[in-house]
Amino acid sequence: MAAINWRTINIDALDPESAYNFDLSTLTPTIQPISTPDVQTLSGQIRQLLRGGNAEGALRGALENAPYGADEQGKVMPQALHTTLVTECLNQIRATEMSPLLQRIYQSDGGSELCDTLMKYLYKGMGQGAASHTSGNVHGGGGGRNLTPQATGGFTQAGGRSFGGGEGGMSVFLSWHEKLVEMVGPGSIVRVMSDRRTV
Amino acid sequence: MSQSLRPYLSCVRSTLTAALSLSNFASQAAERHNVPEIEAQSSPELLLNPLTVSRNQEERVLVEPSVNSVRVSIRIKQADEIEHILVHKFTRFLTQRAEAFFVLRRKAVEGYDISFLITNFHTEEMLKHKLVDFIIQFMEEVDKEISEMKLFLNARARFVAESFLTPFD
Repeated sequence: MAAINWRTINIDALDPESAYNFDLSTLTPTIQPISTPDVQTLSGQIRQLLRGGNAEGALRGALENAPYGADEQGKVMPQALHTTLVTECLNQIRATEMSPLLQRIYQSDGGSELCDTLMKYLYKGMGQGAASHTSGNVHGGGGGRNLTPQATGGFTQAGGRSFGGGEGGMSVFLSWHEKLVEMVGPGSIVRVMSDRRTV
Repeated sequence: MSQSLRPYLSCVRSTLTAALSLSNFASQAAERHNVPEIEAQSSPELLLNPLTVSRNQEERVLVEPSVNSVRVSIRIKQADEIEHILVHKFTRFLTQRAEAFFVLRRKAVEGYDISFLITNFHTEEMLKHKLVDFIIQFMEEVDKEISEMKLFLNARARFVAESFLTPFD
């Protein structure tokens, strides 16, 4: 009895009726889980399109087949694979081609959903650098010691390998974000925040 | 303004504008209470997906929206140890005077240097676009402030070192 401090027990967690135990899965639309091999074959096809110079088709295909509900044990894997794939597509497209390409995607059938998915991937891409950086700090122990230019320099190299770019490729996401918001407005960001189908 | 700062700030601006659509929402856990849900974390369905905007590995903004409150955390650029100390002193100065700023949080979220907590009462009392402007302006100013302080510090250190070493010349 003396082992646990009963004052710190969260009694809401023990009550099945309380809002704390709200079942979030009731808010998510039912989606079929996608397994890792499926995503791998898909990314192979999309990379072929990219090599063929069809960046628009590649981006469109990647956004149409975004894996939302991956199987529980491999939840992280397919989504991480797909994020790097979308990032590759975005890196391939030159800055001058962004606006006309987005215009074409937006005006096609179901274009606004594709733009919302793209917005999700932009935020995911920007969040990725932060997540990996924080974990790097955790490994390093004391946060202050990790601040030396050498340590961060080593990290930028690791980031640059996967994203391609001097600033960890963030400028790519930022310019895409700017173009996308210009076209679809802030509503798209609200849908990213409120959509439970995270990428 | 530098080349990469402008898209960063415009991205933060549009994200904040989207996130600051708040409504009054009383607590579901306790009667006659009204708490910022992002801090209470008592009901998962009221929290929205957090968004990160980053300029590079070092500078980023975390926006955590919920039904009646938004928590905005900023990580300020710290290129070396001196800037780290300056940022720490600067944010400490501000957070100790948090009640004068209304939207400032007393403690920053882990991994970030300074946090703001904007509730629906703030957006009702103040103009929403001015709140966004305030945070954007803060982000613009703080970088300038820190690099200015660093220059002053270096200049003073050089002067002190010179006058200290003159007798041995």
